[in-house]
Amino acid sequence: MIRYASRRILELAIVFVGVTFLIYLMVFSLPGDPIAALGGNRPLPDNVVAQLRDQYNLNDPIWLQYLRYIGGLFTGDLGTTFDGASVSSRMAARWPVTITLALTAWGIEIIIGIGLGLIAGLRPGGAVDRTILTATIIATSIPVFVLGVAAQLLFGLQLGWFPVAGVSDGWPTAYLLPAVVIAVFGLAAVSRLMRGSVVDTMRSDFVRTLVAKGMPNSSIVGLHVLRNSVAPVLTFLAIDLGFLLGGTVVIEGIFNLPGIGQLLFDGIRTHEGPTVVGVGTALIVIFLVISVVVDLINSALDPRIRHD
Amino acid sequence: MRTLRFSIVAALTVAVTLSACSSGGSGEGDRSISVGVTDPTTLVPARQSVAFDFSAAVWSPLTFVRADGKIDYIQAESIESDDSVTWTVTLRDGWTFHDGTPVNAQSYIDSWNAAAYGPNAFENAGQLANIVGFDDLNPEKGKPSTTEMSGLQLVDDLTFKVELKDADSQFPLQVSQAQTAMFPMPESAMKDFDAYTKHPVGNGPFEMDGDYTENQPFTVTANNDYAGDDPTVDSITFKPYTDLSTAYTDVRAGNLDVASVPPNRLPQSEADFGDSLYTFEAPGISFLGLPLWDERYKDVKVRQAISMAIDRDSINDVIYGGQFVPADAFTPSIEPGTPDGLCGDYCKYDPKSAKKLLDEAGGFDGAMEIYYPGGGGDDDLYNAIANNLRQSLGIDVTARPSADWAEFLDNRTAEKVDGPFFSRWGALYPSQQATLRPLFVENGGCANCVPWYTDEVTAAIRKADKDDDGTGEAYADVQDLLLEDFPAPPLFFETYSYVTSDKIADLPTSPVGNPQLTKVKLTD
Repeated sequence: MIRYASRRILELAIVFVGVTFLIYLMVFSLPGDPIAALGGNRPLPDNVVAQLRDQYNLNDPIWLQYLRYIGGLFTGDLGTTFDGASVSSRMAARWPVTITLALTAWGIEIIIGIGLGLIAGLRPGGAVDRTILTATIIATSIPVFVLGVAAQLLFGLQLGWFPVAGVSDGWPTAYLLPAVVIAVFGLAAVSRLMRGSVVDTMRSDFVRTLVAKGMPNSSIVGLHVLRNSVAPVLTFLAIDLGFLLGGTVVIEGIFNLPGIGQLLFDGIRTHEGPTVVGVGTALIVIFLVISVVVDLINSALDPRIRHD
Repeated sequence: MRTLRFSIVAALTVAVTLSACSSGGSGEGDRSISVGVTDPTTLVPARQSVAFDFSAAVWSPLTFVRADGKIDYIQAESIESDDSVTWTVTLRDGWTFHDGTPVNAQSYIDSWNAAAYGPNAFENAGQLANIVGFDDLNPEKGKPSTTEMSGLQLVDDLTFKVELKDADSQFPLQVSQAQTAMFPMPESAMKDFDAYTKHPVGNGPFEMDGDYTENQPFTVTANNDYAGDDPTVDSITFKPYTDLSTAYTDVRAGNLDVASVPPNRLPQSEADFGDSLYTFEAPGISFLGLPLWDERYKDVKVRQAISMAIDRDSINDVIYGGQFVPADAFTPSIEPGTPDGLCGDYCKYDPKSAKKLLDEAGGFDGAMEIYYPGGGGDDDLYNAIANNLRQSLGIDVTARPSADWAEFLDNRTAEKVDGPFFSRWGALYPSQQATLRPLFVENGGCANCVPWYTDEVTAAIRKADKDDDGTGEAYADVQDLLLEDFPAPPLFFETYSYVTSDKIADLPTSPVGNPQLTKVKLTD
């Protein structure tokens, strides 16, 4: 186990350096001068551009810029945005929104997805099963921005059940609608996985034994089937949490949620190297950590999986 | 430095403030409004680019151009000159900044010096470029040897003289409401601009309430000690939106009082809002830029043919909901003295004559690619123009977006474009000068918006700058020269559209196209 853990940590370090450099290189090679573009339609005076390029060291070669960035990282400095704010404070202001949104969506996926999967799996081929299948297929095939705007117009504007946009109403009101829209996609996968798993478990020998013993149906499902079926779904849910934390740029835009996805999008749009690398690296670390945790959980749940 | 804890506290403060506002919403005494904005990131007036409405609330300009084109003197009592070179600005007595310090001639001199000082790299510094000494603060290389412009001279506590490089009759307009680099800042600002950008202190009818935090709503409240006209509302909350379509929907739902209409909502805005849609004439104009460095566009008949092949009326109806105005001159018609109808037949849709002109010029060799900045919502416009040109002129025309604004700007500045391209200019004060100078004088502001700089036109603009008597008629010669050479087809005079909630009975404007939030009329 210790060997396994140290190997993973070594991998993490290599991936970290490689990825930060790659992202830095990509932002650097985007066409166009980010400083000249700062003024938008109203171009900046040449000497202002020169001054700012100098201030942000944009005239240095890429490797020097990168080394300076990495050097800053060790002192906890994630760099500065073009308007002079520190990237770390920007990220600190954005994470709470994204984490709240991701966890809300994740909760909805877990409760509804597992619930639907269980119902469908207990009566495979029945009317309920087929209805759920059709509904989830339709839901996943609608593009997320269509679903988002439609939900906003219907529930926010027409019915007025939820705020149209913004986080000023706080949790849960402000987050429920966007969370449901995002959850719809994971929901379909979770419920299909769960259904298949339940069908398999219901056919297994130990369930037949339990039935033969005369155990009430509710106890069989609640105590045994549910626990045994949920393992494969967990892996998917964990990876999905990583995606959700990556922020959903489109939904954050539609519902005006100042989250990490918007920050990343703005960073790319304005060619702000430090912002893009900072957010990108944070997301990669989240993924790496989650994948390690998933491996560990899996081996705990299923003793047949060994990591040595 | 902001920390996580600070942001949470700020968020809570805002939440409490907002709920306090909304709970008072049904009561009679509520005279607060909310406005949807793009997150400004900086609030220093000499730096901001999307905080015009905020700036107009927190600062009072020296002069204010009214809707009828007349100049009101606000912070200035008078601005006078005998030769249009040296201007004497006299301030009103007894005005103060929100921190209680007096607004005097020295505040203006210090603020303008700071705004023009090269190492500060303030984005709007160009507004001061015509003052003598500006170049000393902005040497091509190295640090400037001085921190003051020699063209600014203190006369007494309330009077200072401004010496310009070239005679400029438009100076009183250049210190009006949207030229934010000309706004005064108190002494405390010069010591710490990082603090000032979070909590700006101005001389206007509203003062900043609390500190600004990136992407959080921020509020200004009426300043009781304001020496000018009292505003009609008690407070204004600016709410940042990443997508202005969302702000538009929020106004429909009644959660927001004022929002500007994004281009993709223009066609439906009248049906959605009726009387609560306000379309303001603005000093913005768009052209179809032409690559005059390419041989194929050298013949003026080619350029005229392209202009006559564009169906401006239909494009306006379909894409802008009929809210723009098809252009028929080289400056927006809101700028005084603009010769309306100057462009005549050359700006009218006439595919047959267009084709004939093109044939006379010897036709067009090869394919044509219209190049425009991607991600700005302009796809429909340029595809429509491409269709027009293809059908009218029989040229193989396509429209291609760039990856983003930075890429587009780079290519246009470096003249690496070989087809027609995006070109627009939004002026900040209503004078033909504010459009002609950036577009048609080299280094005037908009590099290669119209890549056509001649000594003749430059001289004509300079002459008009000197001679104009306030009517703008002196610029007529410039427009005639432009028509003769027809460097780029004018497309539209822009309007800025706003929508409001039921709470607002009337939203007045001024000739810079923005709403005048200090004079909003609320529903009783």
